Amino acid sequence: MVYFGKMKGHTQSPPRVGAAEILWSWIGSFLGIATVGLIHFHLLDQTSLTMIIGSFGASAVLIYGAVRSPLAQPRNLMGGHILSAVIGVAAFQFVGDIPWLAAALAVSVAIALMHLTKTLHPPGGATALIAVIGGDSVHQLGYLYVFVPAGLGALVMLIIALLVNNLAPNRRYPEFWI
Amino acid sequence: MSSANLPEYDPVEISDDDVMAAMKSMQGYIDITPADFREVYRTTYALARERMMKAMKAGDIMTTPAYVVHTDTDLIATATLLAEKGISGAPVTGPDGAVIGVISERDFLRKMGADQEGSFMQVIAHCLKSKGCVAAPMVNRTAGDVMTAPAVTATADMPIGRISSLMAEKNINRVPIVDLAGRPLGIVTRSNLVNAFCMLG
Repeated sequence: MVYFGKMKGHTQSPPRVGAAEILWSWIGSFLGIATVGLIHFHLLDQTSLTMIIGSFGASAVLIYGAVRSPLAQPRNLMGGHILSAVIGVAAFQFVGDIPWLAAALAVSVAIALMHLTKTLHPPGGATALIAVIGGDSVHQLGYLYVFVPAGLGALVMLIIALLVNNLAPNRRYPEFWI
Repeated sequence: MSSANLPEYDPVEISDDDVMAAMKSMQGYIDITPADFREVYRTTYALARERMMKAMKAGDIMTTPAYVVHTDTDLIATATLLAEKGISGAPVTGPDGAVIGVISERDFLRKMGADQEGSFMQVIAHCLKSKGCVAAPMVNRTAGDVMTAPAVTATADMPIGRISSLMAEKNINRVPIVDLAGRPLGIVTRSNLVNAFCMLG
């Protein structure tokens, strides 16, 4: 009964943020994704490289929308994407023949490793998963995937977060670096 | 230290609404539920309290110097001293100046017909029954005759948390603070503790 009782929830959702907060979240995420997108579509277009992956949309939620969250700090952003990318590529290379297993291992080991290294960043789970299910263009990158798009994309997003979040009078970023 | 070992203290009770109001007043999305915040608050409070109880020592809060009487101080002088200083008890020192007992209102009351716990109302009852001054038999007696001995003492470096439990455990109201030779340095009474705890908030 305790088990089912736990499913009822026991507290409430945090309050809605103010209008200024919403506006700054919008500005930051627009500029962050725009920058990564411009690099992807205009600079890397002629190469086999890719810059934009789905997990950056998730990172944008955190580093532009919840800037005080421990999950949104530079250590977590960079560490989470880079470590998860390593795990994702390794999972594909070792057990890529069994896609469901590679996908499950990529995400679960990435989460464990992020916990272990205090770099938990939810979009890292997506970065690991994309390394497995991202198709040929991603698979061909091999471990380069760790640096481009994962590492470099996260770094560009981080720079935009530093520049934009600190323009907002009531924001400061980061809370901590490492 | 694990927070699970801490005794449960009751910090000022805060509600989800208080936490929600505080979160609203802060800019930005606070990535924690009100219940989690309250849990952090309770544990943090207990840890802080524990730390301060350990950090604050008897020497920091004792009244100094303590008024002391000698074992051969007669009870008239003893009672007069307590009355003049507005205190209800004092350490009793032996021949070498070390604290060997404590004399308090309770010891007097006990001699005047009250039982072990000593209350003024018991003395009144005794007085009314025996039709006379029940203090009369105490003339010519000394502090050494009626004091409670051995004394429960502590050194100046004892944390106030331990002084507090000592008082509760021995059911006493004052603890003489002594040096290594047992000589009195000061005294910690329940009021010293109350003041210290009020400071802790």
